[in-house]
This record gives sequence, C-alpha cells and structure tokens, in this order.
Amino acid sequence: MTATAKEALREIDLGISGQSRVPASMRLDFSRDAATGSTFLAGSYQEPPLKVVRAFSLEDGTALVHLHNVSGGLLGGDHLALQINIGCRTSVQVTTTGATRIYHHRPEFSLTTQCNEVVVGEGALLEYVPDAVIPFAGARFLQRTSIDLADGAGMFWWEILAPGREARGELFEYEHFEMKTRVAALGRRIATENICLRPADQDVSSLARLGPYRYAATFYMCRVGLEASAWRACEDHLREVTSSLTRTGEILWGVSSLVAHGLVVRCLSRRGREVLPGLHTLWRRAKLQLYGREAIPPRKVN
Amino acid sequence: MNASLNQEFFSLPEDLAYLRLLHLADSALPIGALAHSFGLESLVSAEILKVSDLPAFLHGYLQEAGMLEAVACREAFHLADAKNKKFEASRWIETNDSLSALKPARENRAASAALGRNFLQAVLAVEDSTVLQEAREASLKSKSLIHHAAAFGLVSATLSFEETRTVLAYVHQMTASLVSACQRLLPIGQNEATRILWNLKPAIVETLVLSANYTLDAVSCFMPLLDWGAMEHPALATRLFIS
Repeated sequence: MTATAKEALREIDLGISGQSRVPASMRLDFSRDAATGSTFLAGSYQEPPLKVVRAFSLEDGTALVHLHNVSGGLLGGDHLALQINIGCRTSVQVTTTGATRIYHHRPEFSLTTQCNEVVVGEGALLEYVPDAVIPFAGARFLQRTSIDLADGAGMFWWEILAPGREARGELFEYEHFEMKTRVAALGRRIATENICLRPADQDVSSLARLGPYRYAATFYMCRVGLEASAWRACEDHLREVTSSLTRTGEILWGVSSLVAHGLVVRCLSRRGREVLPGLHTLWRRAKLQLYGREAIPPRKVN
Repeated sequence: MNASLNQEFFSLPEDLAYLRLLHLADSALPIGALAHSFGLESLVSAEILKVSDLPAFLHGYLQEAGMLEAVACREAFHLADAKNKKFEASRWIETNDSLSALKPARENRAASAALGRNFLQAVLAVEDSTVLQEAREASLKSKSLIHHAAAFGLVSATLSFEETRTVLAYVHQMTASLVSACQRLLPIGQNEATRILWNLKPAIVETLVLSANYTLDAVSCFMPLLDWGAMEHPALATRLFIS
C-alpha cells in the first residue's frame, strides 16, 4: 500500500499523461486536549483550492471540520492530496459543505485526481460524513483513499456516488470514474473497494452492476478490537433497519460484516434524496450500538 | 493401438495434467459449490433477475467478478509456478487477505472460503504436496481464509498445469456453477442453460486475456446489486441455498 497521499499522488502522476492544472495538498492533524478531553485541530497545512476554515467543537468534545473546495468543484487537471491524522483518543467529524462536483474534463489537461490518506490513532474515532460526489458529463476522475486504523480506533465513513446532474437529465455521461478505497486495521487489510466505471464502454445499468438504480453508497462502520460475534449481533441489529428502509424498485439497503473489525452497508437508489437520510438513520443506530452515544449530524449552516 | 504405444500415449505428462485439470475444474466436484448462489437467490426472490436478463447479467458478471477471480487465480498460480524458486507463505496469505477485503458481503466471502478450503482438502487427500501443506498450515496459523480462486491457482501450479488453461478452466467452472444455480432458481430448461453457457465462452476467453493486465490491487469489481443480494440472503424467509 502506498505510504502517503503525496506518494500516491506521485504514483498516479507516473501513469497519467497530460498537463496538471492544480497540484494541491492539505494536511490536518487533530489532538486531544488533556485538560478538557476535547479534540482540537492542532495543525494544518492548506493549499488552495482546499480549505478548512476552522474546527468547531461539538457538545461531546468532537472536533467538526468542513472540507471546502474554493473552486466550487474539481476541475480537469486538478491533483489534490488530503492527509488527515486523527490523534490517539480524539474524536473528529469531517464533512463537506455540499456535493463534490467533478467538472467536465478538458482535453489539454490530465484527468482529475484526489488522494486521501487517513490515519486513525489508538482509541480515536473518525466520522467522515460527506455529501454525494457528482461526476458531470465528460468528467474523468480518479480517487485513491487509504485508511489505517490503530488498536481501538473507530470509523464511520460513507461515500455516495450520483449518476450526474440528474435534474438536467444528465445520467452516466461521465467518461471515467475510478475510486479505490483501502481500509486496514492493525496493518491488515479489512476492506477494499475498487470501482472503475466507463459508461460509454460498459453497461452501468446491467443487473451485474447498478441495475435500475442510479445512486450507490457505501458506508463502513469500524471499531478495532470488537469480536466477530459482536459484529454479527450488530449486523443483525442493523439488518432490521436496512429491511425497514428498503423498498424494492426504489431503494435497497444491505448490511454485512467485514472480514474483521467492522461492517459495511450498501445502498442503491433510484433517487438521491433518500440516500443521505437513510445513512443518517444507520449512523445513529450503529453509533448507539457501538459507542453507546448519539450521532450528532454535522451543522451545515451557521 | 498396441500395448506399448498405449502406455506411451497415456503416460504423457501433458495428458495426465489435462485430465487432472478437467477433474478439478468440473463444477460437480464435491466441494459444496452447488450450495451457494452468491446473492442470486435474493435477486430472483425480489423479482429483479428474470430468465430473459440472464445472458446480459452473466456477461456483466464475468466482466466484474469473473475478472477479479481470474486475477486472483493467476496471482496464486504465480506463487508456485516454475518461475518462483521458493513458495512464500506470506504472499499466499496476502493474496487471500486481499481477496477477502475485496468481498464486502460476508455470504460471498464465506462461500468462496468454504469452497477454497474444501478444494484444497480434496486435493491434499489425493496428492502429496509440500507447498500445498505449507499453504494450508500458514492460512490456519494466521487465521486467513483460503479462497477458491487462490486455491485453484496454487494447486494448478503445483500440479504443473499450464497457466492460461488454469485460469480459463477456473472461470468456466465458476460460470457453470452460477448457471447451475440459475437452473434451480428460474424456469430454465437444460437446453437453454447449455445455450447460455455456450454463448458465454467468448466472454470467458476475453476475461482470461484481460486478466493478464491486472493485479489484485488494481483490478476493479463493482457489483453493488449482487452485493446487496448476498447481504440480504440471510434474511430470506425460504432459501434453497446456504447463507
């Protein structure tokens, strides 16, 4: 596995032809205030268009940050790298200010790339709860994410993939969408997702892929150290929720134990508006089950 | 044909290897393949998958899961083929762990692991191989699963099967098992099932060719609908297949 997001970026660069428009990186380091037990943003390095204005403290001591892209979205040729270090026994919530828009690819530039490297320290918790990713018509995008969980570390992490700008009838008109996510716990791989969609070459609506659905979401829930039997119990508990949220033909929800230390939820939906509320419901139920406390939805408007 | 010619003919190592490959790649090999639908049962039960959808569905399945399994089979083959002087148990574990991580649905992961374990056990019952023993012990020791594709690749290399034939045979038997599951789930006659599998052979060959370009780290597999089917299978009230 590539060691850092910057190294991953360099690795991707080697395989990409064309001009890079904006190479930019951001690093966020979170620590725990020993006196209060709260988490704070101890250090950050930010290059435009990536921006975090400040960390907000939630009532349970969690630090909340909003990831901004001041360009309004990812442009053709952007090469972005994000590194998040979640210190021991901290609690961090990361969200976006809105959907991540991936704009039309411009022939003079290379494809748009984003590398994310996340390290969650011992006993820490990361809640990564962004809005959907919307690849516009003609977009070409490649994302690599590596997440390393230490002993006792936990994570709620979802990603939502939209078919395009649905309201204007733009469905699966992007050129290339590639997303590779690796989750490791105690140095051992527990989940890998390798998506590569090229709608012009493959039938995205094949029953072997999305079928009649347009939106796909993946939600990982992890806590390193819990026994397999605890995960099976949690899976059974959440299956009651996924079953109640499922309406065949409209929206499907499924849950399963990972090989160790976590669960994964899959969602397929015809419409986008039902996905986020469903994820919030599952997040709330899972957090109560795994941590015995309420999930606090991120504040989006001041 | 006289007796000496006969003996010479059947003692050709390639022929023996071919016969063994046919035996191990038979989807009727008693390792439990008939007990799993890999999520298909849920799709049929939810009336998402119908007979008329099968050819296109299976074609897409080969492009996604078929490719993943072909790459895994090939990687495991390389762990014990003639080019590798020494079998490295750590790489065997890594290959299987990578495959486990790539299978999000517990049901599919467990099915693949049950078949892999049974397959390796079946081969070890008839063939004395240090590499295969070492692989099994390393998996047990590290609590790593043994996936069918990986076991098939490793066994094939130790038995000196040819790489291309190995991957072709594996993908073919996996497709045949799926078609067999469809026969039990859907109203498909024998002739129709034969036709479906027959027409998929070019896609199987295409999968074989493309699989040479990928590693397990790079190969993509996007089957969210089938993942959902596998995830929801334990919740079905009536099941023909194992969860």
